[in-house]
Amino acid sequence: MHETEIWLTALFNDHLAGIGNSILNLVGQPSQARPWTNFITMELLVVLIIVVLFAVLKTGLSVATPGKFQLVFESIYDFVHSQTEDQLGHHGGRYFAFFGTLFVFILVSNLIGIIPGFESPTMYPSVPVGCAVATFLYYNMVGVMNQGAFKYAAHFAGPIPLLAPLMIPIEIISHLARPLSLSLRLYANMYAGEQVTTVFLGLTYLVFPALFMALHVFVGVLQAFIFMLLAMMYVAGAVAEEH
Amino acid sequence: MMKRMMLLLVLLLLCSPMIFAQTPQYPTAGGHYVPIAAAIGMAIASGLCGLGQGKAVSGAAEAIARNPGAAAQVRFVLILGLVLIESLALYTLVIIFIKVG
Repeated sequence: MHETEIWLTALFNDHLAGIGNSILNLVGQPSQARPWTNFITMELLVVLIIVVLFAVLKTGLSVATPGKFQLVFESIYDFVHSQTEDQLGHHGGRYFAFFGTLFVFILVSNLIGIIPGFESPTMYPSVPVGCAVATFLYYNMVGVMNQGAFKYAAHFAGPIPLLAPLMIPIEIISHLARPLSLSLRLYANMYAGEQVTTVFLGLTYLVFPALFMALHVFVGVLQAFIFMLLAMMYVAGAVAEEH
Repeated sequence: MMKRMMLLLVLLLLCSPMIFAQTPQYPTAGGHYVPIAAAIGMAIASGLCGLGQGKAVSGAAEAIARNPGAAAQVRFVLILGLVLIESLALYTLVIIFIKVG
């Protein structure tokens, strides 16, 4: 496994090692020589990019004369909103913030690895696991907040009460498999895409590795969409009322 | 909405003991056969994944041919199905990452 530092992480480790170690000490981990890791610094950069992008967008918002920048973001918003309405019905707009954040964060994280000198934070196991655990907690929390704890737990028993002893272990296992599959899908796709491109760059000249890199870009966009879509489907399943 | 976000943040912070998780190191008895076994396992997983995705694409193509008006819906289901089948082959790949290098 390669763990070489990129220039950003080296910058953080050279100048901000003290801050990194105090954060580690806050959670009880011992201080290390070079505390910042690639994915932490790249995550911070991705968050900074997204915040700056949206801040610039907000100052330029206009109803009468939307510029190209605003139109791009409006199309992203429409896309996520229409998916939310498809999956969750007309009241789905309440949960839109979470799905939009997930989509934009994972999309930018996946695509920033294409630029030479940067790495996708989703390439390291911790970042997809973080997103998946947040999704798992979110849909359970939303289910409990919407339906009450007892009614939400009761829907694990399935439609027919007689089948409950069979349904409950199956449902519990399938619910536990969801964060596992979400995180594993994103991590494996990103890591494999980068490895395949690197391997082909070592094997042959420019055209074939570029094709695999194009596939990696497409897979990155698709995986961000799928993560958001599956999060929506889980929330829809948690919020669904039996008529 | 703020209430939901705050609650989610608190739940996430409560999950922080996961930082300390470590994989236990068992002594590996496979030796030289681990890479070969990994390659054969991955080949089987990819082959079966290819069969499954082929069936999915053929079903989708036929559905679009029969009912071009539903093409958007069928395309959506197709992409979703392909990604879910793909992830099964990727689970095998992750085991290979863990076991080999």
